Amino acid sequence: MAKVNPDFVKDIRKYGADDFSACFSCGTCTAICSLTDKDNSFPRKMIRYTMLGLESEIKTSVDPWMCYYCGDCSTNCPRQADPGNLMMAVRRYLISKYDWTGLSGLLYRNLAGYIIAFLIVIVGVIGVSVKGGFDHSEWLHYGHYFEMYSIAGIFAFILFPNIIRMWYYIVWSKTKKFNIRNHFVALGELFVHMFTQKRSLECDKTKNDTLWWFEHFILVIGYLALLFTTVFLDWFATKSTVINAMGYVFSAIIFVVTFDFVIRRLRKRSEKTSFSHPSDWFFVIWLFLMGISAFAVRLLIDLGTLENNFWVFLFHLVVLAQWALIIVPFGKWTHFLYRSFAMYFAAIINKPDAEPAVKK
Amino acid sequence: MKERIGVYICHCGGNISDYVDVEELGKMFHAEDNVIISKDVMFACADSNQKAMVNDISENHLDAIVVASCSPKLHLHTFKNVASRAGLNPTNYVQVNIREQCSWPHSDKPREATVKAAGLIRAGINRVSHSESLDNIEIQVKRAVLVVGAGVAGMKAAIDLARLGNEVYLVEKDYFVGGRIAQADKLFMSGQKGKDIVAKLYAELKSYKNITLFTGATVEKVSGSLGNFHVDIKIKPRYIHVKADPTTVKKAMDECSIMVDDAFSFALTKRKAIYKNYAEALPDVPVVDIEALKNDTEFLSKYASSFDLTQQDEVLSLYAGSVLVTTGFDSYQPKDGEYGYKTVPNVLTLPEFNSLMELNPEQLVYNNKAIKKIAFIYCVGNRQTKGENKYCSRQCCTSAIYSSIQLKEKYKNITAFHLFRDIRTYGKQEILYEKSSKQGDIYIRWDEKEPPIVEQDGKSINIKVKDHLTSKKELEVEADMVVLVTGMVAREDSQQISEKFKIPIGNDKFFNEIHPKLKPVETVIKGVYIGGSCQGPKNISESVQSSLSAAAKINALLKGGTVSLDPVVARVNNDVCTWCGKCAEVCEYTAIRSIASGDKQIAQVNEAICTGCGICAPVCLVNAIEIAQYTDSEIESMIDGFMQKIEIRDKSSESEEVETTEVLMMKEFPQLWKNILESIDKSKKSIPQLAEELATDKEIITYHLMTMNKYSVVMADGMDEKEAYYYYKRKN
Ligand SMILES: Cc1cc2nc3c(=O)[nH]c(=O)nc-3n(C[C@H](O)[C@H](O)[C@H](O)COP(=O)(O)OP(=O)(O)OC[C@H]3O[C@@H](n4cnc5c(N)ncnc54)[C@H](O)[C@@H]3O)c2cc1C
Ligand code: SF4
Ligand code: SF4
Ligand code: SF4
Ligand code: SF4
Ligand code: SF4
Repeated sequence: MAKVNPDFVKDIRKYGADDFSACFSCGTCTAICSLTDKDNSFPRKMIRYTMLGLESEIKTSVDPWMCYYCGDCSTNCPRQADPGNLMMAVRRYLISKYDWTGLSGLLYRNLAGYIIAFLIVIVGVIGVSVKGGFDHSEWLHYGHYFEMYSIAGIFAFILFPNIIRMWYYIVWSKTKKFNIRNHFVALGELFVHMFTQKRSLECDKTKNDTLWWFEHFILVIGYLALLFTTVFLDWFATKSTVINAMGYVFSAIIFVVTFDFVIRRLRKRSEKTSFSHPSDWFFVIWLFLMGISAFAVRLLIDLGTLENNFWVFLFHLVVLAQWALIIVPFGKWTHFLYRSFAMYFAAIINKPDAEPAVKK
Repeated sequence: MKERIGVYICHCGGNISDYVDVEELGKMFHAEDNVIISKDVMFACADSNQKAMVNDISENHLDAIVVASCSPKLHLHTFKNVASRAGLNPTNYVQVNIREQCSWPHSDKPREATVKAAGLIRAGINRVSHSESLDNIEIQVKRAVLVVGAGVAGMKAAIDLARLGNEVYLVEKDYFVGGRIAQADKLFMSGQKGKDIVAKLYAELKSYKNITLFTGATVEKVSGSLGNFHVDIKIKPRYIHVKADPTTVKKAMDECSIMVDDAFSFALTKRKAIYKNYAEALPDVPVVDIEALKNDTEFLSKYASSFDLTQQDEVLSLYAGSVLVTTGFDSYQPKDGEYGYKTVPNVLTLPEFNSLMELNPEQLVYNNKAIKKIAFIYCVGNRQTKGENKYCSRQCCTSAIYSSIQLKEKYKNITAFHLFRDIRTYGKQEILYEKSSKQGDIYIRWDEKEPPIVEQDGKSINIKVKDHLTSKKELEVEADMVVLVTGMVAREDSQQISEKFKIPIGNDKFFNEIHPKLKPVETVIKGVYIGGSCQGPKNISESVQSSLSAAAKINALLKGGTVSLDPVVARVNNDVCTWCGKCAEVCEYTAIRSIASGDKQIAQVNEAICTGCGICAPVCLVNAIEIAQYTDSEIESMIDGFMQKIEIRDKSSESEEVETTEVLMMKEFPQLWKNILESIDKSKKSIPQLAEELATDKEIITYHLMTMNKYSVVMADGMDEKEAYYYYKRKN
């Protein structure tokens, strides 16, 4: 017996859902969606759950992560209920539920919260730089350490526990058992999806827009490579021309591709880009700023004029800190992580229980 | 006896002649049969043939004609008109149907089809030779209309009838006009207030001198018939003195302190003992509730000059040419405990709830509780596949949704749940459904087999329901109030009205029209029409549409001052009739009464009422009553004609030989019937038992048994143990 909770809709609206109340459950959206299947029926069902406020059904559902927001459903909905957008909002809601700190939810629902957080980081970075009285080379050094520790810390204390919580909701609360074999066999899914977003290619829409998929793919690779280059190969301090060149290429990839994404969002050509939540904007803009500022810093180093333009490095550091402390753990960045894990968890629960392979 | 008959046998293109040997039939009838002209024609209905028929009739002095062609439904009037044009009385025309009855059904047996056609044509010739020349019956009609019920349907019709120049008597049972919509606040689709519409219609009504409105009035007795209905109405008194000063009456009304439950607001409020249904109710004269007030002698004597307690029921006799019944509907009243009605607090019906909304302009409060969450349960008392009221009331979905939209416009922080079976906001009303969902109303769909369960849960109400839109998930809905969306049922007293005017009532207890598509406002009683929601569930526009079309029909009927009726009616042979009264007893239309004739009583048929149904003729023991155009001599001659032997040449065989044959007929029961009878004579049997015993298909047994049942050869006699099949026995 599930209790209907009409207040839930107010909550979900804050995550960016809007017109879904108009839905009269005709099912056109589910019929048209190229990604839904017999194990995961969406988006109509998710709209029902949302309307009725069945939180526990939503929290334990993996379906929202199966949707890549191609927007076919929204284009075809006879009531203009924008089911694709609802799926997106539910993903934001889910992220806030996985996040034990509760900060994700706070930021998603309040633009002001985001802005305050950004300001705190700016004040923090500038404050430390003024108070610390470090010289420039020392600063470069600290910047590098900050990067290493923040990444490790965020992963250990925030993202890892959150993934465990996600696992608990999706796998444990549904199956109530821990099938090691399934967990092992399904691991492949995790990596494939993390790097390729393979599933999005099954979408009819994406098939016609392979450029988008390719850009996305390049961006993921570029981003991970830049991360590796700056953090582990210490790009800003390296003497190796090869590493230096790699850094230029990767950062350039990032700001070129994100620039295109910003343009797409501004043009609102497709359903996917027709509605942008603040968190979507922050994600692309900060990625862009990060790429371009890293590029500029290294350029100034190579030209030997960083001393005179030290504000550029400070700017880069501010962007980096905001990215690492706000957007990565509590913002849109996590989509990338949770979606990959969702594919993994879905593979676990949808697999028939460890059947001996010989039995045919 | 007609002795100069013309016979025309139609090919109907090839529709008839492809199977029936039309040419052979055209040569079959001669002077011995009183037939002067006999022809086969390609299209009997074609203009050229009609002209030829007119010529034939006048040149050959024909005194009767027969056309053997299609169904009389199609062309009876065509050929009657041909007869008229040629100066022949149209009742001397008979149409024989050899298409629907011969060529089409027997296309597999052309020869037998021809033989059957020959029999039918001979029967037709025999009948027409006995035909009489009859004139239509002309009836003088009074240009006055009685309209019963002053709801929106009745008022609109009365206004139209008066505008077209008819005298109108509008009889309303209540003391105030308007019917159900006076009880409503805003109405879909226009958003107008019901009370405003009533006020507007009343003003229009009053502007016509030829409308007389009677309130507090009911129909007591009806006699007479089309053109001259004779109606007694009873008018209840208001007990307000005719010469009372209105301001004093108003003062008395303000001062009155005796309060009783107000039926008009569904007992949500109290009303005074001197009252109007609502402040602006019309006519603007209050009513004294004498029962409630009779003990307050002090008050009564204070305002003695305003009251007249001696007033009595008054009976008036009215004469009207036609009657329009627009008595409307009742709302279904749930039984105690039905979805918690009367057993769980805060469960109301939709009309009650609408009244409550109207009474609470600012905040929705009931039983001192602020109401925020409201659950509507649909189809209450309607669409019950088992039990009464199988129909859908068609306006309640829209009504409930419209109320829900009003709710959110009027009050803050309202949540509305709609527990529905199907949403039937047909036509333009669909936009209201869309609006309601867009404003966030929550729709939950249940199935008749598992209705929602309403229970009290502390201070609020808990409803359990299985949602068919969410994989039949069991849901719990918490609400402050439950609104039962009740449908329409026939008026409680519709049976009485039906008896007075002889209007047939359907299984659903609403009044029945003759034909829902072709005669949608006519009843089987000539001159009596129905309109509005007394016919069946209707919203306002539909109610008004039907009552206005009845008004137009009535006006067309009465406009000329006379009405011409078909002469197919019963007639009495005065010499033979002994007034045993048997015919009057069986006549459902009460067309027969007794009159004095010389020194005895005899039966007399009111031709304006008689429908020619024929029920009276067979019951008369002395054969004193018969139906014109269906007299015994005509019918018997037809049977004789059909049974006569026919000489026919078989074209398909080479020989020139003429064969004499009998028209095929059932001389005895088919073998299977005999076997069935033999078997059930031993002991009663069910269909499967017979099928087994006679080693015959169940379907075949069923078909024959049903035919035998229809012709009263067998009858049902109880059911078998599993209650699956009837037993059958021979009917004596
Ligand atoms: C809750 C509810 C809300 C509705 N809301 C809307 C709406 O918003 N829009 C809409 O289009 N429709 C609405 N309807 C439908 C609407 O009420 C009907 O279509 C309309 O009232 C039918 O009018 P009527 O004249 O046929 O019948 P009624 O309104 O029932 O009028 C019949 C009249 O006949 C009188 N009468 C009855 N018996 C006798 C008798 N024996 N002798 C003399 N007089 C008699 C009655 O007193 C009454 O005055 C609603 C119905 C309900 C139940
Ligand atoms: S979201 Fe649109 S397409 Fe999907 S079920 Fe609802 S109304 Fe139909
Ligand atoms: S946005 Fe695309 S993938 Fe997502 S539910 Fe709609 S149709 Fe399916
Ligand atoms: S109109 Fe709607 S509520 Fe009324 S009986 Fe029909 S389906 Fe049920
Ligand atoms: S049944 Fe015959 S005899 Fe008797 S009253 Fe009628 S017409 Fe006369
Ligand atoms: S024909 Fe029918 S309606 Fe006419 S008097 Fe006989 S029984 Fe009555």
